[in-house]
Amino acid sequence: MKKRTPWQVTRAVWYAMFMREAVARTMADRMAWFWMLAEPIMFVTAMIFVRTVILGRTRMLYNADFVPWLIVGLLGFFLFRENMMRSLGAVEANSGLFAYRQVKPVDSVLVRCFLEGILKSFILVLFILGGYLLDLKLIPDLALEAMFAWVSLWLLGLGIGLVVSALAGLVAEVGIVVKLLSFPLMILSGVILPVTMLPYFLQPYVLMNPIAHGIELLRLGFFEHYVTLPGINLLYLWYWIIGTVTLGLMLHIRFEMRLKAQ
Amino acid sequence: MIKIHKMWKRYHHHIANDWILKDINLIIPPKVSVGLIGHNGAGKSTLLRLIAGMDSPTRGNIWRKCSVSWPIGLSGGFKPSMTGRQNVKFVARVMGGGDEEIQRVIAFVQDFAEIGKSFDEPVQTYSSGMQARLRFGLSLAFDFDVYLSDEATAVGDKAFKAKATKAFKKRVGKSSLIIVSHSEGIIKDLCKAGVWVHDGKARWYEDVNEALSDYTDSLKNRTIKVPTSS
Repeated sequence: MKKRTPWQVTRAVWYAMFMREAVARTMADRMAWFWMLAEPIMFVTAMIFVRTVILGRTRMLYNADFVPWLIVGLLGFFLFRENMMRSLGAVEANSGLFAYRQVKPVDSVLVRCFLEGILKSFILVLFILGGYLLDLKLIPDLALEAMFAWVSLWLLGLGIGLVVSALAGLVAEVGIVVKLLSFPLMILSGVILPVTMLPYFLQPYVLMNPIAHGIELLRLGFFEHYVTLPGINLLYLWYWIIGTVTLGLMLHIRFEMRLKAQ
Repeated sequence: MIKIHKMWKRYHHHIANDWILKDINLIIPPKVSVGLIGHNGAGKSTLLRLIAGMDSPTRGNIWRKCSVSWPIGLSGGFKPSMTGRQNVKFVARVMGGGDEEIQRVIAFVQDFAEIGKSFDEPVQTYSSGMQARLRFGLSLAFDFDVYLSDEATAVGDKAFKAKATKAFKKRVGKSSLIIVSHSEGIIKDLCKAGVWVHDGKARWYEDVNEALSDYTDSLKNRTIKVPTSS
């Protein structure tokens, strides 16, 4: 058998896992495609209903239309959340494959996050196109900044996903706590209620949450004249990304054998 | 050649973490087929997993200076919700090679396994014998120097066992086998050398028959207690 370099082996593993995950994610469930689109649409509709009919608020939020504002925030948050949650299950779902020693637990997390990011980006594009047809002002004003914020949220999900997938493999309770946290995080990240509305003394605490930074930056990319908290900082978000990705990769190297054995 | 040097292995549990393998030193020369024997729980499968690189030793080292297969066993290695073809394709991709190579592997496995239309049905619908056929065919599709088998042929029917034995005999001289089996017939048939795993130690025998007779003697000396129900 020909000897391959480590990089060639890794590429082959990523390709094989990507094809497998892509088929499983989009084809295995007969409604998989439908739910991918329907879930955010239903969520957005429900939120708009709550806000306009029950609360009777105005349409504008700090120089941004409410509906596009909500859609951008929700899709950005879903991108982060799905990357984190899919990573959490990745190691266990692929445990049968660790019989082939070329496949490592970290590969399953990386491949899943890559696929999830592509699918979510595709859905974002569909929303933008649909929004354009409905005259929703969903075309980003500053496209490059919006794209950069989108990728940053993706990488934050990957970083946190790497960390929690390794920790959940060692201590199963971590997985339960992460699942419990996913809804409160949506509120705390200013997806539904703008962080700018919070009282001044609470703002420093919200600004500790990197997801809030990512989502507000994404909105700034979409709505040029949007007004947000002055403390929103791209650098802070990237400290988190670099920190969590590094920590996650380190955990995966250190505990590789234990993750395989679980 | 596979070299195991001062290797110790234990698993961590809440209560007990005794050594399963203690200070194993073995050199398995190239092209020599080896049978691993010992009673249940002696550590044969653990040793095989360590040789395969699925697990790492707690202390000591293992060097593999040849291509080694994954352990061909009774379970694992397949995603139950996917079809046989998809699973085979996955492994072919992991092992590298272009489209042609992948097509060759699929054709080979389909031909070897002889499971007919089930090849395109989810693996979870397979019987254990059909899974064994698929697993076995898949490993034979690649040219490894050493094949590791953990009771891989145990569940197959007579025709399959004969086919598997024949396939391995064809490879004698080109590649070798390391097998865990409780069937003396298979071990005698396929292996030249033996390793007896006992009390955490592994003893090397040039002649597999000596290993088998020592193993059988050790069983005679043990007082066998049969629990009586009252």
